[in-house]
Amino acid sequence: MSKRPPSPTDRSFRDAFRSFSGRVRRRLALERMLSGAAIGLVLGAGAAAAAWQTRHGALRPWMAAGGAIGAVAGAIVARRRRWRDEEVALFLDGRLGGKESISTAIELDREDERDDPARAVVLSQATTVLEKANPKDARPRFVRAHHLAIPLGLAAIGYVSLIPLPALPPPPAPPPGAEQVKLADIKGLDKIIDLANTNARDDAQRKRLDKIAEDAKKLREKLRQGMEKREAQAEIGKLKDAITAERLSLGDGEQRQGLESALGKLAENPDLKDAAKALGDRDLVSFDDAMENLANKLEKEDRDRAKKTLEEAAEAARKQNAPDVAKALEEQKKRLEEMAKKNEKLKELGKALGEGLSEDAKEALKDLDSGKGGGKEQQKLAEKLEEALGKLTPEERKRLAENMKKRAAEMNGEEAPGEGPSKEQLQELAEELESEEGQKRLAEELKKMAEPEPEGSEEGERQKRLEDAQKGLGEAEGQLGAPMPVPVPGQGPGKQPGNKAGEKPGGNNGSPGSGGKDDGQPYAGHSEGGGPGDHKGQTGVVDGQGVKARATGPINKGKPMPGLVMGRTSGRAGETANIQGTGALGQAAAGELGAIERSDVPEEYREQVGRYFQPK
Amino acid sequence: MTTTGDFQKRLDRAREASARLKDAIGQVIVGQGEVVEQALWGLVAGGHVLLEGAPGLGKTLLVRTIASCLDLKFSRIQFTPDLMPSDVTGTNILVTSADGSRHFALHKGPIFGQVVLADEINRATPKTQSSLLEAMQEHACTIGGVRHAMEEPFFVLATENPIEMEGTYPLPEAQLDRFLLKVMVPSPTEDEMTEILARTTGQPKDAPPRVLDRDEVLAIRSACRDVAVAEPIMRFASRLVRASDPTTQGAPDLVKRAIRYGAGVRGAQSLVLAAKAVSVLEGRAHVSFGDVQRVAKPVLRHRLIRSFEGEADGITTDQVVDALVESVPARPESVEQAIRR
Repeated sequence: MSKRPPSPTDRSFRDAFRSFSGRVRRRLALERMLSGAAIGLVLGAGAAAAAWQTRHGALRPWMAAGGAIGAVAGAIVARRRRWRDEEVALFLDGRLGGKESISTAIELDREDERDDPARAVVLSQATTVLEKANPKDARPRFVRAHHLAIPLGLAAIGYVSLIPLPALPPPPAPPPGAEQVKLADIKGLDKIIDLANTNARDDAQRKRLDKIAEDAKKLREKLRQGMEKREAQAEIGKLKDAITAERLSLGDGEQRQGLESALGKLAENPDLKDAAKALGDRDLVSFDDAMENLANKLEKEDRDRAKKTLEEAAEAARKQNAPDVAKALEEQKKRLEEMAKKNEKLKELGKALGEGLSEDAKEALKDLDSGKGGGKEQQKLAEKLEEALGKLTPEERKRLAENMKKRAAEMNGEEAPGEGPSKEQLQELAEELESEEGQKRLAEELKKMAEPEPEGSEEGERQKRLEDAQKGLGEAEGQLGAPMPVPVPGQGPGKQPGNKAGEKPGGNNGSPGSGGKDDGQPYAGHSEGGGPGDHKGQTGVVDGQGVKARATGPINKGKPMPGLVMGRTSGRAGETANIQGTGALGQAAAGELGAIERSDVPEEYREQVGRYFQPK
Repeated sequence: MTTTGDFQKRLDRAREASARLKDAIGQVIVGQGEVVEQALWGLVAGGHVLLEGAPGLGKTLLVRTIASCLDLKFSRIQFTPDLMPSDVTGTNILVTSADGSRHFALHKGPIFGQVVLADEINRATPKTQSSLLEAMQEHACTIGGVRHAMEEPFFVLATENPIEMEGTYPLPEAQLDRFLLKVMVPSPTEDEMTEILARTTGQPKDAPPRVLDRDEVLAIRSACRDVAVAEPIMRFASRLVRASDPTTQGAPDLVKRAIRYGAGVRGAQSLVLAAKAVSVLEGRAHVSFGDVQRVAKPVLRHRLIRSFEGEADGITTDQVVDALVESVPARPESVEQAIRR
């Protein structure tokens, strides 16, 4: 079927419509482009502000390109959403009052509607409407209120581009403790490094002590090269923990039960109360002192009883698989014996010399005799005795030896009642005084006894070294400076000027300590009355990264809390029903007795739980 | 091929004829211009019209006047409760011929007129009312198994009185749907009332002239059918009718609240046909959105069935149609926005 040529009416309608529709579409596209530009410029202004804020000054003018990008996007949208002829016709009808003649004409203008009887009339009417219309009336407005954003956005971008960039923010304060410390000489750490030369209880302790020493050595090296203060403090904290753990390692873990048994045994003897407390505290130095005191104070019988108690305690510890504890106790027993023997020897020699002693020596002898004296008195007496012996003529020494022999003979094979040396001791002393070699040996012995700080037990010595190491750590910490501030809520700056505490004399032996409470400095944790006021000194948020939380308080791992009962406690009468139908729970029905089988207790535990609650 | 001149002439003739008819009616009927206009929409569109109004407002007179102005066969049926369907349609009666033989002959009822006045239609029983169904819808009537076509043009104008409800039978929905339009007859204004008094209390005047014959009526109806309707306008009519259904998603809130059943396909058809009639009477060859909106009330008001809530709240179907016209956009949103700018 061939197409019919368009009639003049058709042509004039098409021309008129094309003219109007082109105008409408162009203006609509322009409107969309302007809208896109407005959006782009608003975003661009925001981006320019962000560039200004982030000090990217060179980027600011380029943000005006957002308008161009927006306009292009608007053009693309306009192209995609371009109005069809039908929509343009509806718009023209609405604007020109065509009573939908143009819309109808557009439809009738199609080839398949050519035979419609109304076609020619409608096209003619639509053409008339279009021809009579003022083109201005058919223009959609392309400027809209939101297009005001275009000049505003451009102005904003221009303004932001011209104003100077904001000042650089002050650099953030380093976190507390982040400063570098560099110390060439840290004597405190030497004491810890020296732990490598300390006798160890066993191989495991040897390894641990070596590791502590090694860590201390590494820390010393690091401090020489320079490291963060907080890191150094954390390392020292770790060493402190390790040393504390080592100090408390006797009777720890599997040997705990043995220690408890030994303590129980020691507690049975009132004379060993202090020793038991010292052992319970794992304070072997105090244990040594207690033993020394006992050696001086106790009568022979009491000493024997104490030795027996020590023996029993060592046995109990051994039975409970605590050989270290047993060994320490046996050593203490041995020390007690030796110290007692030495004590007796000194006292006897002192008594034998009698008026030949100086006033100091007599005083020391008196103290020792009354049981008040201790190691110092022993030393003093030993010193004076050595001097006195040196001054004796050979005849005097001989007479002294004979007197002693006579006294030993008077004992007639019986042990001296109560205190005083034994017959063998007296004889031994007399023989020593008789011969030249014996005298020399005695003089040597006295010299040795006069030396300060007599040797303690092996455990005690080790503990002493560990204590020294701990003190050394304190010194090292002091050299590092004040400990890191820890924020405490509700604390404010100090207002009263005060003296700086912690400035104790003593050089490296005393820790410098932290700032005093009333020094007026805004230390963390410092509060002077609180309340409303100037809180400028309040510590900021502490960056916890890398800071090790640790408890510095003394931890007594060995001793349980008072009143704490280890193990299972027995029930009190009447509290639970262990006989059917009795007890505080009242009458229990027979059906409830097998309830464990119906309960939600896991099957593998039922038997055990059932047995526990089963009435006897 | 139809030329511009052909259809334009038909339109011109139709407009001129309708103007003549309006003038002739105006000689008898005072005021009621909108009622006369809407009655003419029914005549032009080929639909039937239901006139509702209080007694004495000139409903019957209007129909009689229209019938007088048209050179068509007029019949009147006064509906009463005892009226039987055969009284409307007619029946076969036994006739004795001159030679003495007897045979059944069809005695046609008043329905077989061209302009039928169904006066007070709601007074008859539903059975009798339904005798009009076939004739109104199919322009034919089946009597004794024989189908008899109505003579064209066939135009039913019914009246009903909304006040007296006792002894009346409201028209069923199926019957109502057969009416293209339901025209509400308002009370006359003071001036109109005065004019009525002046005209009716003197000597009776001559009947109005017959201004339109059968062929002219059929030509106007044919022109009406040829009026073009653009697709967006038909779509608008469809949207209006669909929105009257409360189960439709886009239905206005008032429809959802006050309407139980909305208009159907016949309602949409009636909207377009009535709009075409408006175009013809205005001499246009195409329908506008305004035409559809203008005819919405008389076309849809009797096709909407109110819900209990709607009745209880006193919401009229006219209010619902207003809400529909207001809420259903004629054009796409983007076009509407561009026009408003």
